[in-house]
Amino acid sequence: MSRILLNRRSFLATTASAGAMVILPNRAGALAAAPVKGGRLVVAGDSEPANLNPAIVASNGVFFVASKVIEPLAEQSYEGSDGLAPRLAISWEGSADGHTATFKLRDGVTWHDGKPFTSADVAFSALEVWRKLQNLGRVVFKNLESVETPDDHTAVFKFSQPTPFQLIRNALPVVTSVLPKHLYEGTDIAKNPANQKLVGTGPFKFGEYKPGEYYLLKRNDAYWQKDAPLLDEIVYQILPDRAAAGNALEAGEIQLAAFSAVPLADLERISKVPGLKVYPNGYEALTYQLIVEINHRRKELADVRVRRALAHSIDHAFVVKTIFLGYAKSATGPIPAYDKTFYEPDTATYAFDPAKAEALLDEAGYKRGADGNRFTLKLRPAPFFNETKQFGDYLRQALAKIGIDARVVSNDTPAHLKAVYTDHDFDITVATPVYRSDPAISTTILFESGLPAGVPFSNQYGYANAEVDRLIKDAASEIDAAKRADLYKELQRKVADDLPLINVAEFSFISVAHDSVQNVSNNPRWAVSNWADVWLRE
Amino acid sequence: MKRWRQLNLEGRAGCVLLVALVLMALLAPLIAPGDPLAITGEPMLRPFSSEAHMLGTDRLGRDVLAGLLHGTRTTLLVALFSAAVALSAGSIVGTLAGFLGGIADMVLMRITEAFQTVPAFLLALAAISATGPSVPTLIFAISLGTWTQAARVTRAQVLSLRERDFVAAARTLGMRPLEIAFREILPNAFGPTASLAAISVAAAILIEAALSFLGFGDPNRVTWGSMIAEGRTVLRSAPYLSIVPGIALVVTVLGIHLLGRGLSHRERLQP
Repeated sequence: MSRILLNRRSFLATTASAGAMVILPNRAGALAAAPVKGGRLVVAGDSEPANLNPAIVASNGVFFVASKVIEPLAEQSYEGSDGLAPRLAISWEGSADGHTATFKLRDGVTWHDGKPFTSADVAFSALEVWRKLQNLGRVVFKNLESVETPDDHTAVFKFSQPTPFQLIRNALPVVTSVLPKHLYEGTDIAKNPANQKLVGTGPFKFGEYKPGEYYLLKRNDAYWQKDAPLLDEIVYQILPDRAAAGNALEAGEIQLAAFSAVPLADLERISKVPGLKVYPNGYEALTYQLIVEINHRRKELADVRVRRALAHSIDHAFVVKTIFLGYAKSATGPIPAYDKTFYEPDTATYAFDPAKAEALLDEAGYKRGADGNRFTLKLRPAPFFNETKQFGDYLRQALAKIGIDARVVSNDTPAHLKAVYTDHDFDITVATPVYRSDPAISTTILFESGLPAGVPFSNQYGYANAEVDRLIKDAASEIDAAKRADLYKELQRKVADDLPLINVAEFSFISVAHDSVQNVSNNPRWAVSNWADVWLRE
Repeated sequence: MKRWRQLNLEGRAGCVLLVALVLMALLAPLIAPGDPLAITGEPMLRPFSSEAHMLGTDRLGRDVLAGLLHGTRTTLLVALFSAAVALSAGSIVGTLAGFLGGIADMVLMRITEAFQTVPAFLLALAAISATGPSVPTLIFAISLGTWTQAARVTRAQVLSLRERDFVAAARTLGMRPLEIAFREILPNAFGPTASLAAISVAAAILIEAALSFLGFGDPNRVTWGSMIAEGRTVLRSAPYLSIVPGIALVVTVLGIHLLGRGLSHRERLQP
């Protein structure tokens, strides 16, 4: 169908590549899969963020569209050193004392409005946007004092306190989207019109946004990378109904549905549809963790034996196989196994063993009453995913087996967040924190004590452990990468033993694409990367 | 038996359907003992493929038949109570408005109209999202949008009744006004209001199912609406999960409708 909608430029592009084939007939024949330029990729879009600026809102819903327009300094990669591939920066280095980080920037990059990209843009973005306004940048660049720009292609970040370069490096793809200084300087950054009509250096220019209908991105002919991008246009067709994505794929109305827009339960059927391919990879850097949050203010739950009993009551194999239909992995602790740098496999584990759970509860002094129940818990499953709700239903049954009566309380997202993270009106919950390549920006917030009420997805559990707090504090200023990783490994051993919350599974998303779409899922943040190398086979 | 013979075919059919439903609700703990939300088998068994699970199992391995039977209880409980609440609240407001007249009538009727301008389902949705879902709040939320009809019908009845001789007689006997309103007028005005019951119950069932479908039902109870909602995610690969409770819903509303028609037919035949 995209053929019918050919515009003049893509018509020229296809005729040009047809001309190239005439000149080099042998090459075209030998490399049947050589990338073809042109075409329009239609993608299922699910959310329409109020603010589309990835430098301010570092979230996946924003990146899904904005990452094609505004680029970070570096992107995640399966092959690159430190798991990174260069984007606007070509090299990076941290000083031994943790006080400076130096970035060499790419030459010959221009903004979509024609102005050259320089180190001044990076300095401005870091000081005025990432450090001040961005949800994650506030943590990473907390101690950023100044950014020196000795020349147009060097930016030197100066920190007042030692800041682990490992953390900065791991956070580069997420926190360093560079904004054009000339459009933002001297304006109210949070209200700048360019937050909706994005201007960046990326392979695609922002074309048009029709609320409730679509986002349109157009090819950037002046992109710094040679022969890229390959697509002429990307259209994000807004399909708020999850069931619609599968049908739209089958009907050929869209060619790609990312972020599990097609429900897991439909994948087996969809995978058998000729012409459609299911990609379970390409989201490793966006790993979600299915956890049970525990309110330590409840007398019963303050007892570690009771928490261990809860852990023993959960059958990880059932969760992975039945709830996630195999598209998840059982978790052992708060850092996912895919992160080779920080993951500690050697921790206390809690096998599925209801009998042992009952023994632990008896030992803790909570015997079954006359009605078979030991005590009642208020269970609040997060409403974010189908799977969180289903796991909530499962957990209620699993706990019933060991004599704990869990009453499910369900709410919409705002009410759920308020009840759990502000009012602490829960006993246990089902939640899904995201792991973002470094414990300092994803894991520690779930364990450190003394956070103010109202911070979502953080330790609002009334859990305080001096040893855990010390490890987190030490790691925050440890500039030696190996020592820092060791501190986090010790943290994992500690919390696996003390069990302030229960990690059940790690899951991510699935993409479904037409087999004509090439180079799908070729990096660990694929859906939120720039898609410069994506192309459509005829 | 005299009444049964007076019922026409429609009414009899509706009656049979409803009796069957009530039996289902009453016998649910005998046919499907235990918690209907318990995970009892392999997930996603098709209907009639296993003797232990006649109607199959859902995505977690919960028995569909058990869900259906216990769902009847929730559905009927919520529907009957909310219809009762709506009818009583509506007839009290209607009686007061019609009998008192004047400013009281004005105020009460404007309030009724204010409620009528908002669709009943939206009112229920708003109430539930404010109070959180549970059976009592569901009953309250549903009646919030359905009492207005009863109020208007009762008021119209009362307006015509209050000028009758027996009211004047009651007045000369020295009965207090409120006593006259609720002991003399309301019982006589209640007939037409009661015939609204069928519509109210059917509306309540549909609102309850829709609320559960949207995830605003009581999560600790099975309801048909929540069964349909859960089945929707696998509509293409396991349509039976939505169809089975869907049929139950259709049969129930149909039964109530038929009985309602049968009854009003009988009313008309009476001398």
